[in-house]
Amino acid sequence: MVSKRVTCTGCSLLCDDIIIRTDGLYIDEVIGACLKGKEKFDCTTGQNRILSPMIRKNSELEKTSLENAIKKAIEIIANSSKPILYGFSTVNCQAQLMGIELAKCVNGFIDSNSIICHGKVMNAAKQTGMTLSTISEVINKTDLLIFWGANVAESIPRLLNKALFSRGKFRMTGREIKTIVIIDPAKTASFNVMGVRDIALQVEPGKDIELIRALKEECCSPNSIPSNGVAGADKEDLKRLLIQLTNVENGVIFIGQGIVGSSRSSEVIKELLELIQMINAQQQKGRMSLMMLGGHYNMVGFDHVALSTYGKNHSLQFSDNELVETSDTIVSKINNGDFDCSIIVGSDPVSHLPWTLSKKLVSKPLILIDNKKSATFNCAHVVIPSTITGIESGGLGYRLDHVPVELYKIVNPPEHIISDEEILLKLINGLK
Amino acid sequence: MAFALDLLQGKVKIDDCTPLLEPKYKKNYDTLKELIGSEEGKEKELTIDVDEDLCDGCGICVTICPVNARYCPPSLSGKAPDYPPEKHQLFQVKNGKCELLNLKYCRRIEGEGQARECRVCESYCPREAVKIDYV
Repeated sequence: MVSKRVTCTGCSLLCDDIIIRTDGLYIDEVIGACLKGKEKFDCTTGQNRILSPMIRKNSELEKTSLENAIKKAIEIIANSSKPILYGFSTVNCQAQLMGIELAKCVNGFIDSNSIICHGKVMNAAKQTGMTLSTISEVINKTDLLIFWGANVAESIPRLLNKALFSRGKFRMTGREIKTIVIIDPAKTASFNVMGVRDIALQVEPGKDIELIRALKEECCSPNSIPSNGVAGADKEDLKRLLIQLTNVENGVIFIGQGIVGSSRSSEVIKELLELIQMINAQQQKGRMSLMMLGGHYNMVGFDHVALSTYGKNHSLQFSDNELVETSDTIVSKINNGDFDCSIIVGSDPVSHLPWTLSKKLVSKPLILIDNKKSATFNCAHVVIPSTITGIESGGLGYRLDHVPVELYKIVNPPEHIISDEEILLKLINGLK
Repeated sequence: MAFALDLLQGKVKIDDCTPLLEPKYKKNYDTLKELIGSEEGKEKELTIDVDEDLCDGCGICVTICPVNARYCPPSLSGKAPDYPPEKHQLFQVKNGKCELLNLKYCRRIEGEGQARECRVCESYCPREAVKIDYV
């Protein structure tokens, strides 16, 4: 039995301090990982694992060889004129690059999960700019943590441990000097770590934008907050929040699905980025920065790969093997029926997207490249199983703070199962 | 506070606190007698229970525990302590659940003065999975 220090791909935090005990074939013990991470390591032998390539025949999925599945997938793609590629947030950056190459090769449209998540923030930041921070900075320097629309204790379990309770390099104390502010309509498990000095703002659902505008106004002309408060938040609490915001040495606002998934998300994000700019302009000691809490471990990776190769972080449309301008997203493409086959890599859009879109998506041939069974698996026409990145194959991943982290192979994959990157390369070679 | 802890652990009796015997504190004396009841003077042992159904292995107890912080330097940065565990280490997260390794170095047993009132693992657990008790 050997102990190895590995990186966990359970969530976007990519904890690199996990110790596993393995005999080279199976993972026996996982030390340091949360329940989410442990589940990821368990996936290797889980019942939900896809262990054989499959092709749909007479409305039933039947097992086949890898060669046959690849051949069938190539046949579907070759016969289509408007293929769409989607997912790519639970694969490594090499596979993401290969996905973009495939989209270019077949003149298709490629998008990642970030379009319905933090990709919106990246878009808004093109106009307003954005101050980012890293997890190391949060551990060592931060004294104010704001969790806005995020139940961090349950979505990224180890983040509170690292961000709030760690002591860091430059301080003798940890939790005692850190203040947290939680802004959420619901009282979540994250509220349980709050102390007397912390601020809890239970805002009314969908009224975050009013709160941000009130804070912006208060920044410009003090004492402008109405006496009865804003969006369900108390006036005194808001004043305390603003004092914290402008007097902090190093503060971070963590935003979750409550912000990026709201109905007026683009407006809210734009206003929030402007508020951070205004606060930073008034800051005497330090600065406020932003961190986006994504779910999938390499969602940020796709944005970086696409930005570095084509200068656009999502929604890449190719025509004549060249990138062309488009205002389409994966949602509009599916909604308008502007596709004739789909290639889904490491994602489950049938579960994630609304029913009307899922129905349209599965009405046309769907090729799935994934390692676990899902709702999309049950609707796919061709299923090609892949290795689990970070456990059965290596590669590069981007942490939620946009820092690249190397992922390593720990155990061998099951027989005849290859990585996402190799599958996509086989498809490209077959199509050429 | 130290007297209260000792009283809970059964190391002292209510009558050992002489001011409480004064007539003006009779009401408090009676209330305590009623609360402690027949358990008075019975030596009790400290237990820290981690509810496996509630725990999600976030590791806050590992990082916040002052004993872990002293003997396991990685926990100062919120990282998982080294493996195999240091002999003083109280908590570790194994297979996604918190595990109590060694209670004898807990501040409630080994500490002095205010340190003996430590219950940070219980008070900061977001899932309310850690419970400190005397049985």
